[in-house]
Amino acid sequence: MKLALIGVGDAGTRIVDRLVAAEAETGRWFTEGNVLAFNTAAHAFDETESIPDERQVLIGDTHPSVTQRVADDEDTTVDDADAAPDATDSQTDRPGVGGDPGVGADVATTDLPEIRRALDQIDETEVAATMVVAGLGGGTGSGVGSVIVEELQAVHESPVYALGVLPASTESDRRALTAARGIRTLVPLADAVFPVDNEVWRHGTEPVSDRYDAINDAIATRIVGLFGAGERDPTSPSEMRIDPADIRRTLEVGGLASIGRETVTLDTGSSGWIDRLLRLLGLTDDTRGGRETDAATVKRLVQQALNSALTLPCDIESTDRALLILSGPPSAISRKGFETGRYLLEEETGTVEVLAGDEPLPDAETITATVLFANVTSVPRIDELQARATEAAAFEPSSEDTVDASGEDTVDASDAAVTDTDGGTADIDPAATDAGEPDEGEPNGDDRDAVATREHEFEFTDDAADGDAGS
Amino acid sequence: MKLATIGVGNAGSKLIDQMIEFEVETGRNLCRHALVINTARTDLAKPENIPDDRRVLIGDTHSKARGHGVGGDAEIGAEVAKTDIDEIRRVFDDIEIHEVDAVLVAAGLGGGTGSGAAPVVIDELQKMYDEPIYGLGVLPGQYEGGRPALNAARSLQSFVTKVDNFIAFDNDAWRSRGQTIEQGYAEMNRELATRIVTLLAAGEVDESDVGENAMDSSDIMRTLDVGGVSSIGYASTDLDVPKEGLLSKFNDSEEPQAESTDAAKIKGLVRRAVNSRLTVPCEVSSADRALIVFAGPPEVISRKGVESAREWLENEADTVDVLAGDDPRPNSSTLAAVVLLSNVTETPRIDEIQNQAVDAQNKIQELDAVRDEEIESLITDDNNDLDPIV
Repeated sequence: MKLALIGVGDAGTRIVDRLVAAEAETGRWFTEGNVLAFNTAAHAFDETESIPDERQVLIGDTHPSVTQRVADDEDTTVDDADAAPDATDSQTDRPGVGGDPGVGADVATTDLPEIRRALDQIDETEVAATMVVAGLGGGTGSGVGSVIVEELQAVHESPVYALGVLPASTESDRRALTAARGIRTLVPLADAVFPVDNEVWRHGTEPVSDRYDAINDAIATRIVGLFGAGERDPTSPSEMRIDPADIRRTLEVGGLASIGRETVTLDTGSSGWIDRLLRLLGLTDDTRGGRETDAATVKRLVQQALNSALTLPCDIESTDRALLILSGPPSAISRKGFETGRYLLEEETGTVEVLAGDEPLPDAETITATVLFANVTSVPRIDELQARATEAAAFEPSSEDTVDASGEDTVDASDAAVTDTDGGTADIDPAATDAGEPDEGEPNGDDRDAVATREHEFEFTDDAADGDAGS
Repeated sequence: MKLATIGVGNAGSKLIDQMIEFEVETGRNLCRHALVINTARTDLAKPENIPDDRRVLIGDTHSKARGHGVGGDAEIGAEVAKTDIDEIRRVFDDIEIHEVDAVLVAAGLGGGTGSGAAPVVIDELQKMYDEPIYGLGVLPGQYEGGRPALNAARSLQSFVTKVDNFIAFDNDAWRSRGQTIEQGYAEMNRELATRIVTLLAAGEVDESDVGENAMDSSDIMRTLDVGGVSSIGYASTDLDVPKEGLLSKFNDSEEPQAESTDAAKIKGLVRRAVNSRLTVPCEVSSADRALIVFAGPPEVISRKGVESAREWLENEADTVDVLAGDDPRPNSSTLAAVVLLSNVTETPRIDEIQNQAVDAQNKIQELDAVRDEEIESLITDDNNDLDPIV
């Protein structure tokens, strides 16, 4: 399935960069060069290796609440925020939107003409869908990302998916709040959201940068495994090739999606390659060579993929629709195994909407099962995130029970937050629409300023209030 | 019989392709026109024996298909066929219908394109032509799951009511161990093509060789006339002739050393055909009409054997409407018997598919009913304190 990739913010840019690299590594050319990266701080582009310069778009650089100070180490910056949530000036100290999704959304709305110009570089006719990739704990990822998804939905006929990295449990509650709000925003906007749980591939003591690499590799492998299937030159005809429409239909139910993956190495005994050579030379049609897997092996592989570390850990019985891709040499995959594997998926998930296909890789030494679970609704990780988020929203660290025991002020603040941002939503929407009109094209229109200021003031106040409460 | 053949979807297209391959190999001339229709561009490229201008891509302008298939959704399959019906009709216009006796539409009923688009195509054909339209449908196996079963159960209803006869093929009955996905359904397609072509091509080879008891197209059509679902049995035996049939053809002095096939052997062949794997397993006695075609060198087909085989089938099928005839193939090294059981009403596999389909439909409706609510409750916290960013 051809997919345009749009990275937003630090994490999003890094992942898209990694995905583009993976495209070349695996020969699955699924973006056709339709990639973009948006950021509010230029430093995120310093480390990109695979995204062309002209596809890296800096926005918000003229916005009053955006700072461009390049941090010594942006990972440290994140940790700073974690370690010192009470630092009142942490928002303004950090480059970009200072972790504030409200500012992120405001910046994106203000720079919508520029964003639109950049999005024009995406050729929708070349792709079957677009995916916006962002870290949901960040202000740029969640804020700018949401506006871009909204904008893409308005101009693209094909589906718009979102991939959002959830903050780890060691990250701040404030980032948890941003992510929970990000999920709340993106799910109704996007055709499907792939939250990626940082915790799944986190290995305790590794340095943060290595951790990112491991996580980004894991994400890239799974996304390429799913969307890149069938995008290599189809050298081997397959009766059961997965079609882009299969992926699309599986995801069309919306909600949250998760990916599982498992690989088995084919038994390449000494007789194996001889058989293979004979088959290549057309001298034998014997399929009982060393490489052939029996039905049980394929079924076991699918079972392992179901039990593997999912991009979003969830109860797979809450799956709405599912899809299975077996990537490997078609001559080695047992058809009965393929069928029983597919049926296993139906039994384990309890849904009958299961599509299955293969990705023929004639020379591969492995078989990989990639499983997509669409619209999973039993996701403990999201509940945890929301619990932390509501605590952060009504920030009162000394209180055991945030709702009942917290003071009147806190409750008021959270009520105000709901009302105010609801108002903000209403304000942003018409602004986004108006921007298309010629008279509003000028970014410094009075109305826009008013809207922007009001939105920003609220967000700033809200966060400052958090900081006050903490100090 | 002279046929116009139309393959819809991947399975249907591969079947038509395989039928043409088989008829070319065996010197038959059944498929006068062949046309394949698909929603996936990649699948449309697969058939090897279909001219490029006879491959029709439908739904490429539909927002949910765009030339990438319909994702197993029969509704979209039907929708895109209706939208692009003019395009399909234009290709039909080239078919010289007076040249053919009937039209055969082949499709896999588990997928979205075959199950959804084929009935739309059949509707259109019925409007355009007086000739009988036959359906050839592949039923999904149990392990293909609930959605294919639901597609098949629904499509089967459309097929059977719209076509003049529906020949069913059950994937489950033909599943075998040890196949890889590379071999896919090639073996099964080959088996089915052998049966269909041997049956329908009877009487069309070499006019000069028409035997006294030759099967005629009108006999086959009469048997199919009753409608409903049909099943085909097949058995063949190697005759003891040299493989170089071509040489002996040019050398009149060398008589084919065909082993004399006595009456018992002919009858035995038919028994084997009926008791072998039928294209769809069924209760033979539930057949409405039946027909036997013997394809092989005329000299090995014993009259007495044909008659006793016919009587035997009359008994088995519990119907007096049993026809038997020859398809003379002078140079063939095999003798084949193909048995058509027309309008069989007891087919356990179809009942199973229907039960699986009802379960699937219930599950789908249950999920549909709670979907929006569950997503909403997942993304909002318990007190709905968290608000969206935009």
